[in-house]
Amino acid sequence: MATSDRVGLSLWTMQSTAARPGLWRALYRRLGEDAQLAERLGFHAVWLGEHRVWYDGWCPAPLQALAHVAGKTSTIHLGTAMFLVPQHDPVAAARSIATLDHLSGSRVELGTGLGYRDAEFDALGLRRDRRGRLMDAGLDMMEAVWRGDHGDPPPVRRPAPRIWMGGMADRAIARAAGRGYGLMLPQTLSVEEYRRIAGDYRGRAARPGPVGALREVWVSDDPATCARHRERVGLHLTEEAGSWWALKGRFGFEARDQVDRQVARGVGQIAAGSAEQVAAALREVLDAGVDYLALRPVFEFVEQAELHEQLHRIADEVVPLLESAGLQ
Amino acid sequence: MRFLLEHPAPRGLDDLVRSAQAAHAAGLDGVLVTEWRQLPGALVTAAAVAARVDEVLVAAEVELGARHPVEIAEEATVADLSSGGRLVLVARPAGSAPERYAESLDVIRHALAARPFRFEGRHWRVPANLPENVDQPEERVRVTPAPAQPRLEIWGAGEGRAVALERALGHLADAADDPAALARAFAAADASPASIGAPRGRRERWRSAADLLERLRQGRARFGQDWACVAAPAEAAPEIGSLVRPRIQLHRLTPGLEEFWDEQRPWERSRR
Repeated sequence: MATSDRVGLSLWTMQSTAARPGLWRALYRRLGEDAQLAERLGFHAVWLGEHRVWYDGWCPAPLQALAHVAGKTSTIHLGTAMFLVPQHDPVAAARSIATLDHLSGSRVELGTGLGYRDAEFDALGLRRDRRGRLMDAGLDMMEAVWRGDHGDPPPVRRPAPRIWMGGMADRAIARAAGRGYGLMLPQTLSVEEYRRIAGDYRGRAARPGPVGALREVWVSDDPATCARHRERVGLHLTEEAGSWWALKGRFGFEARDQVDRQVARGVGQIAAGSAEQVAAALREVLDAGVDYLALRPVFEFVEQAELHEQLHRIADEVVPLLESAGLQ
Repeated sequence: MRFLLEHPAPRGLDDLVRSAQAAHAAGLDGVLVTEWRQLPGALVTAAAVAARVDEVLVAAEVELGARHPVEIAEEATVADLSSGGRLVLVARPAGSAPERYAESLDVIRHALAARPFRFEGRHWRVPANLPENVDQPEERVRVTPAPAQPRLEIWGAGEGRAVALERALGHLADAADDPAALARAFAAADASPASIGAPRGRRERWRSAADLLERLRQGRARFGQDWACVAAPAEAAPEIGSLVRPRIQLHRLTPGLEEFWDEQRPWERSRR
């Protein structure tokens, strides 16, 4: 497994926030440009998120956005982190994924997630409390479509595009292990948690797939710049958590102290610093049993020139240090 | 009259890109992609084609009625944004749920407008306000973001003709549709000021330039046809663009001009 198979980039969301408003059509153009640079620099994949019905216009249809990337690039993989299976018609989703698989030369990395916002489920007439069942039924149906049970031709990649289960809950690990999917862990975990969950997953899977982790990174030799980045990520996460999370019966901003604690915990996991410091932090994650890193320098408040500099520094300075440390 | 090229049987993205490039080079307005067996996700296909070929319109034909219309609206939005506002959504009633077509179309039209909405129909209820989803109940839903176009074009197709015309939407008729029936349907639409300028298209089979030109002249005379979606190989694009298209733009041409074109034969030049 070469580095180009083990290091991807995340997380494009095409958000136009109050903190950094953007023109959506320009954000989608930028996505294509960012992916072209990522491909030239040898990264494995670009990973896109999914949410819906929110003021910032978070991309609700990542397969269509990845089709744009597919048309603008030729080798980089096209990932979802995560495609919210319970919020999609599974037959249509399987067919769209097969279409992307076919059009892109089998570059799809399908990260799957449950989704958690009530408003998203309700907009689509779905019960959130059934999301687990919808997930299982949806995955079964998608696999059936790819198997040909509904008369479809097989995907180019047999038997199906590579699937990753997103999440860290016991049920997510059980699903990934039972179905032979990879596991994609969130960015908020400590090294010890990565080690425990990766071990648990490998112990339960007959044929374990790769264990991946989203990881926020920022490369700069200037401590003040790193501190500023942490602060901006913190504000970004505060808005998201304050608006969306349900915490012990209270909701987001109504439980500000809890939000602040969660955000501080997330910000504490950012690998920010010099190339050496970032590489050392990532190496700990890899040593804990993680096979794949979906590094996240991408936020809506990061300007494109700044992002492209980050991609260069990650590719030119951080990745070589991971390689010299034994990452093959 | 405007023109879309429809690939008869694409094997993959490269075939569609060649078709779109041929349309672009021939001065045709765009391409139509549909739900092909190997490429069943028309809005995925549309986004990929638009990423490879600039400036052409990409019309995507999807089945409407079975899937949740909010999901389709979101997919159309992202395809429109990533293409810089070049999507036309062509909606054909799903064979499995024709009774849901009209409501689905209305939900999509609400969803593509940049405002919160509530829809309570026989088949769809948005937001659903399911009693189980109690954490953050909403009275209205705003589908986000908005498309690039101020009004994303939605056309009916197939059996959805009456529904589309009632709503003053565009409509793409099938090649086999009875011209007399089309004439009656569109004559009724002519009575409504809301229908002025609503696109009237028809799929056309490619046999020859002369045959296509004759069909388009009849289509325009009988029902006001102003869009032609031609199922033809990329090699036919120069003839459609240089021979057919110029002759169908105006009510009439200067005497002698067609004969001049016939001597010059620019469609053969552009093919070389």
